[in-house]
Amino acid sequence: MSDRFQYPNDREARSAARAKALEALLIEKGIINATTVDTVLKVFETRMGPFNGAKIVARAWVDPAFKQRLVADTPAAIAELTDLPEGMAGAEGEHMRAVANGEGVHNLIICTLCSCYPWPVLGLPPYWYKDPTFRSRAAREPRAVLKEFGLDVPTATEVKVWDSSAQIRWFVIPERPAGTEGMSEAELAALVTPESMMGVAVANAA
Amino acid sequence: MLTQFEQYAVTSMMGAGDTPPRANGTLCFASEWERSAFGVALALARDGHFEWEDFRRNLIAAIGDWERAQTPHTPDWNYYEQWLAALEATMLQHGLTTPEELAARTGAAA
Repeated sequence: MSDRFQYPNDREARSAARAKALEALLIEKGIINATTVDTVLKVFETRMGPFNGAKIVARAWVDPAFKQRLVADTPAAIAELTDLPEGMAGAEGEHMRAVANGEGVHNLIICTLCSCYPWPVLGLPPYWYKDPTFRSRAAREPRAVLKEFGLDVPTATEVKVWDSSAQIRWFVIPERPAGTEGMSEAELAALVTPESMMGVAVANAA
Repeated sequence: MLTQFEQYAVTSMMGAGDTPPRANGTLCFASEWERSAFGVALALARDGHFEWEDFRRNLIAAIGDWERAQTPHTPDWNYYEQWLAALEATMLQHGLTTPEELAARTGAAA
């Protein structure tokens, strides 16, 4: 094997050794403990992320009355769900408002500041989301922007753009895909992407 | 409004040059050491061992050094290599470790 191919593996092994050494040193000194890293990552991996939004959407798909309540009073409806992490309906989530896609209407959310992104439900925003060009174009010509995302919204369908702010953080309830009648809530949740809850895509096909 | 340090820390990097890799609304780690380096840095800042901004300054500096050092032979970009360099630098600056301790651990020259 030539050096060319060897080099990246060496780098990787060196970085792994350095990271491990730092963590071990800090644990030995009592500055952190063996579970510190997992505790920090738990916030991102289980507490706040698009998997929460996906659960909410899947419930709305199987329960039309819940969907109505979700649109009418989003935090109260979210608070009904017991399998979401603590605090989902409060704190950062307290000003959340859901808008539903349906016959003749497609919703798109944008926001100026990433701090306005509904994190607990959608997770971390994608790179392009904070781009001023994306934001201004999405507000001005949403159909053209959606087309670039591969979403051709029929002319008869109204496109509504919602600008999140410190007061209200929006998310979209995408339409339930066809052919999903027999699916469980968990199976349905797996079809809900962050992009579909931003309105730049539809939910994945079954 | 922001109740979680973890959330504040990552949000502060959004849209800036040091924003971490992510896909589908979650952080991306290519290996366990990247995850560890991320978790250790956040935990140390959260617990007040240094300011998050101190770490970020070092991270931005490490990324800048890498960019300036670009030659045809520069190794492929790895965000978490810069992160790890910044974490080491910040820990050294705040007396959380010493060059000797690090060298003893990794077998590398201090």
